[in-house]
Amino acid sequence: MIARMGGGLGAVALAGAVQSAQGPHFQPRARRVIQLFMNGGPYQADLFDPKPLLHKYAGQRPEAVKLRTERQTAGLMPSPFRYRRHGESGLEISDLMPNLSRHSDRLCVIRSLHTDNPNHGPALLQINNGTISPTAPSMGSWLSYGLGTENENLPGYVVLCPGRPVRFSVLWTSAFLPAEHQGTYINHKSLDPKQMIPYLRNAHLDRPTQARQLKLMQAVNRRHLDRRGGDPLLAARLKSMETAFRMQFAATDAFDLSRESKQVREAYGTREFGNGCLLARRLVERGVRFVQVYYGNGQPWDTHHSHNARAASLCRDIDRPIAALLDDLAGSGLLEDTLVVWGGEFGRTPTTDLSEGKGTDGRDHNHYGFTMWLAGGGARGGQAYGATDDFGFQAVTDKVHVHDLHATILHLMGLDHERLTYRYAGRDFRLTDVHGNVVHELLE
Amino acid sequence: MSRARIVSAVVIAATTWAPLSAAAKPPSAKNLEFFERRGRPLLVRRCYKCHSKKSKPIEGGLRLDRSTAIRRGGDSGPAIVEGRPNASRLIEAVRYTNAKLQMPPRSKLPPAEIAILVEWVRLGAALPRDRAGDKPQSVRDMKTAREFWSFQPLQPVTAPRSTRADSWARGRIDHFIHAGLKQHDLAPSAEADRRTLVRRLSFDLLGLPPTSGQVDRFITDTRPDAYEHLVDVFLASPHHGEHWARGWLDLARYSDTTASWLKSTAGAWRYRDWVVEAINSDLPFDEFVRRQLAADQVPGLPIEQRRALGFLGLSPTYWKEPRLAPGLIKVVVAEEWEERIDTIGRTFLGLTLACARCHDHKFDPVNQADYYALAGVLASTRLFDQPLLPADRANVVRDADRRIDKLERAVTQVSLRIPAPGDKQQQIARLKARIEQIKKSTPDFDAPRTHSLEDASLFVLADGQDMTRLEYRLGEVRDLAIHQRGNPSSLGPVVPRRFLEVLSQGKIRPFRNGSGRLELANALVDSRQGGSLTARVIVNRIWREHFGHGLVTTPSNFGFQGERPSHPELLEDLAGRFIDNGWSLKWLHRELVLSATYRQASRSAGPGRTIDPDNRWLGRMNRRRLSIEAWRDAMLTASGELDMALGGPARTVDNPKHRRRTLYSTINRRELDTMLRLYDFPSPTGHSPKRVRTITPLQQLFVLNSPFIIRQSALIASRIPGGPRPRIAVDRLHRLLFDRTAGPGEIQTAVEFLAAAGPRGWPQYIQVLLGSNEFVFVD
Repeated sequence: MIARMGGGLGAVALAGAVQSAQGPHFQPRARRVIQLFMNGGPYQADLFDPKPLLHKYAGQRPEAVKLRTERQTAGLMPSPFRYRRHGESGLEISDLMPNLSRHSDRLCVIRSLHTDNPNHGPALLQINNGTISPTAPSMGSWLSYGLGTENENLPGYVVLCPGRPVRFSVLWTSAFLPAEHQGTYINHKSLDPKQMIPYLRNAHLDRPTQARQLKLMQAVNRRHLDRRGGDPLLAARLKSMETAFRMQFAATDAFDLSRESKQVREAYGTREFGNGCLLARRLVERGVRFVQVYYGNGQPWDTHHSHNARAASLCRDIDRPIAALLDDLAGSGLLEDTLVVWGGEFGRTPTTDLSEGKGTDGRDHNHYGFTMWLAGGGARGGQAYGATDDFGFQAVTDKVHVHDLHATILHLMGLDHERLTYRYAGRDFRLTDVHGNVVHELLE
Repeated sequence: MSRARIVSAVVIAATTWAPLSAAAKPPSAKNLEFFERRGRPLLVRRCYKCHSKKSKPIEGGLRLDRSTAIRRGGDSGPAIVEGRPNASRLIEAVRYTNAKLQMPPRSKLPPAEIAILVEWVRLGAALPRDRAGDKPQSVRDMKTAREFWSFQPLQPVTAPRSTRADSWARGRIDHFIHAGLKQHDLAPSAEADRRTLVRRLSFDLLGLPPTSGQVDRFITDTRPDAYEHLVDVFLASPHHGEHWARGWLDLARYSDTTASWLKSTAGAWRYRDWVVEAINSDLPFDEFVRRQLAADQVPGLPIEQRRALGFLGLSPTYWKEPRLAPGLIKVVVAEEWEERIDTIGRTFLGLTLACARCHDHKFDPVNQADYYALAGVLASTRLFDQPLLPADRANVVRDADRRIDKLERAVTQVSLRIPAPGDKQQQIARLKARIEQIKKSTPDFDAPRTHSLEDASLFVLADGQDMTRLEYRLGEVRDLAIHQRGNPSSLGPVVPRRFLEVLSQGKIRPFRNGSGRLELANALVDSRQGGSLTARVIVNRIWREHFGHGLVTTPSNFGFQGERPSHPELLEDLAGRFIDNGWSLKWLHRELVLSATYRQASRSAGPGRTIDPDNRWLGRMNRRRLSIEAWRDAMLTASGELDMALGGPARTVDNPKHRRRTLYSTINRRELDTMLRLYDFPSPTGHSPKRVRTITPLQQLFVLNSPFIIRQSALIASRIPGGPRPRIAVDRLHRLLFDRTAGPGEIQTAVEFLAAAGPRGWPQYIQVLLGSNEFVFVD
């Protein structure tokens, strides 16, 4: 692990290892998570959940699809994209993902997810924070609180988005957990590390000058401390000042994509999502616990109209970078204990959205059934778990609620979701509230 | 959910011709055996996880591990109808025929197992008699519960006396503290020096550093009551209210911005300023509570006092998508009520009432009926923007508001209607033009407004086939039915609006006056109801701010799960005298800071270091880190930039032109400013009982690199130039920042640094002192 860290960071990381608040509760399979978040909600049957019956019933509205979502929908609209079986597992993946398909035997596809609310806000909150009201800590904050950090010179929980996802900072809030567990939001639209982290670098002082200033600071603080006969808080601030000084350089290095070779940059592509994936790789290499990569500004996957054309172009944008990320993680061995999670806040309807005018090929939000996948970090690859109904509207077999997904992710990280608790407002809060079951079939 | 009910009602209606239940007869041994051999193992394997005694929670209120419970059923009625599988909800659920009722939720049972259950019900659903010992939970005994320390009425307390304490004590507080110390073989520390005291008092009472004049005068003041004079000066300062208001705003989850869709034109800052003014004028705390909940119902108050209603008027609101089903919107509305009850309960009473939303409180004597009695008050209260005008003129504006509301609803309907009307854009434009016309033609429409409350009851209603609307019925009030398991579509008995049973003596009376907000507020401060608890809670909060930790270390939880007080008699004594002194907060501050306990030095030494490292027994004063507000204000004071003007609209904290106290920085509920967030400013999405002080490297990056601190250093450097005589400049700087002269060692360190750093070293040196522990902590 340490040997893999670039830039001589290993020793620093070890020295800075922070005791975790609670866990792990048992031997973890994964030590860190990269979540690739398709904000807006991708349509499952375009990609990982083939529904051939849609062709037969195109335009019709059988009883089974008369389900209420956010907006009114009409008849069934087949997905025009072709599926093939890939790898030894024969996992079905559509032609929208030619590069990702190479990794089919690593993908643990969950076709039977469901969530409680078909509206972006509550669904985003549920998948990030476990509840639909904006008062609970995010999963990343729980992981940081439960496991601490592996590298004190970097934030333990980083949120990357080229722009701003809808709902914004409440999606990575630490809520009632201590503020240090809050996600550090980084807008990587600009790739200058100094613009990514607040107050990261001094605009006026070079490193030797600042080192001299730090030495003075520590002398002043030590004299103050000695006169007061010791005080753990004063001492903690002294130490934390030294960490901050090192962080300036460690973080600048971690966020600097110009240090990657031309071949690597090409493999990921140089578009925003590819840059996010590459940054995520650099961060997990340096021990960041949880990295979320939001696909883009706002909610690009929210295809209420022109769905097919937009789905094709969105997939073109994510296919190569995700494949490159998995290549790299597998190549370095990091995939063994790094869990990659792909998906949105919900899926989309097999029926057409009526709200933007009749005749357009839009799809509405679908919280009854949608697909996500896991890879690496102890997830059992090469399988499609659970099933939606014939039209891909509702999860019907081996249903996995978002609470179950959370319980399973925590389990892979060595945390028992029922024991990872925080006492607040008179009761013990959990990411999974009072719900959630670990889905053992998803584990290796 | 309501749809599911209709479906099952139809099923039942359609099967009433079926033969009468077979359950009247005792079950045959053969049928019982069938259940025990085939039925029960299946229930154990497939259902007990969520539907047995050990389930947390018991889903749907349905237990399948007791015969009586199976017959009684869950929240939505009986699970089985003996002999009639088609009429039994349990069978409906496992057959997966109803999209809203599918069990087990993960996936459908194999057909063979469904067949077993169907056969068992068809044969009469034979069940053995339950064994004894598994009784339902008894109703909580309120009489016993009221014996808990925090629920008892306050009683007069006799202070402990001892001769040794007499020689040290300056007030009643000290006798209690001394007794506690003695009990643990500890002794109080010596009094802090005057420089330390004046800094401590100034930061504690004003949140600002003392002026050099104040320091010099106090150090040389030979009057025996010099300290008392200083305290009085600070308490009379208008900046006292600014500092203490912020603590209250943390509890009230104050935000300058409300949800974007509300399009509010009211100034949240008017509530903030009201809090400052109330504290400065020493508004009695009981009245302070009353006005924040019911200023619109307290007789004789001028309209500008409605600003107090921002406490609830600025509550978080959550988006209610008009295209979702009413059942989903009811959940959102219930979440809002929960947040408000949580804030009221924890702020005033130190009780976690929201725990009783889904079930009776697990630890405290608060049941679901109590919760929905209070939720009814909120369901009868509407948040709105009150024009600050005399009633007749305000009514004209409010009438215009209502017409605009209707038109805006029409806009929503037209824009979402499917199929869209051909002239959709024209229709919308027409409606919007009418809205603009009303705004223009209504006199005083642009008058200042404040976030306010009025009595109006809220109903969530279906709006045609595919939409949902909220309807407020002005002047109407409503009692709520208990939401079973917190599910607003699964209703239990209706509960009249009233106060908590455990805090009510004698017969509990329902609220009769409108929504009941004024009655609720009165109950919170009435000594026969919540008054004793409310006094204990606020006294403990003020104590905590002065001493670093509370007598009760869980300031918003005085229930069974909260910590017990370290000095119970002291808290009782202070709370009782606080009420006797007219709920005066200034009296309380004075009482605390005049004590010998408060005046101790903070250096940790002697046996206390090992016996009481957390300083629970207060054998010394606690050293405290400045809040972000006080630290920023102190830097602006040192640089001479601070604008001391009181009140008015907020500005973003990173605006270089924002030179006012940090209190006047914009607080955005959805997106907290980076600087505030780094320094433990609480999230305004909910009540914050106390700031958790963290020390993180990201905070120190702010010290090292932020433009703010670099700018303040440069400004100070121009006030006190480094120049050719650095020793004098270093000494002046220490006087400015620390109210003391620089020691020879400090001067030596500075001179060496400046020699190495060259001419640009002076502001760098100042920056170090601004970020140093001596500047950031108060002894």
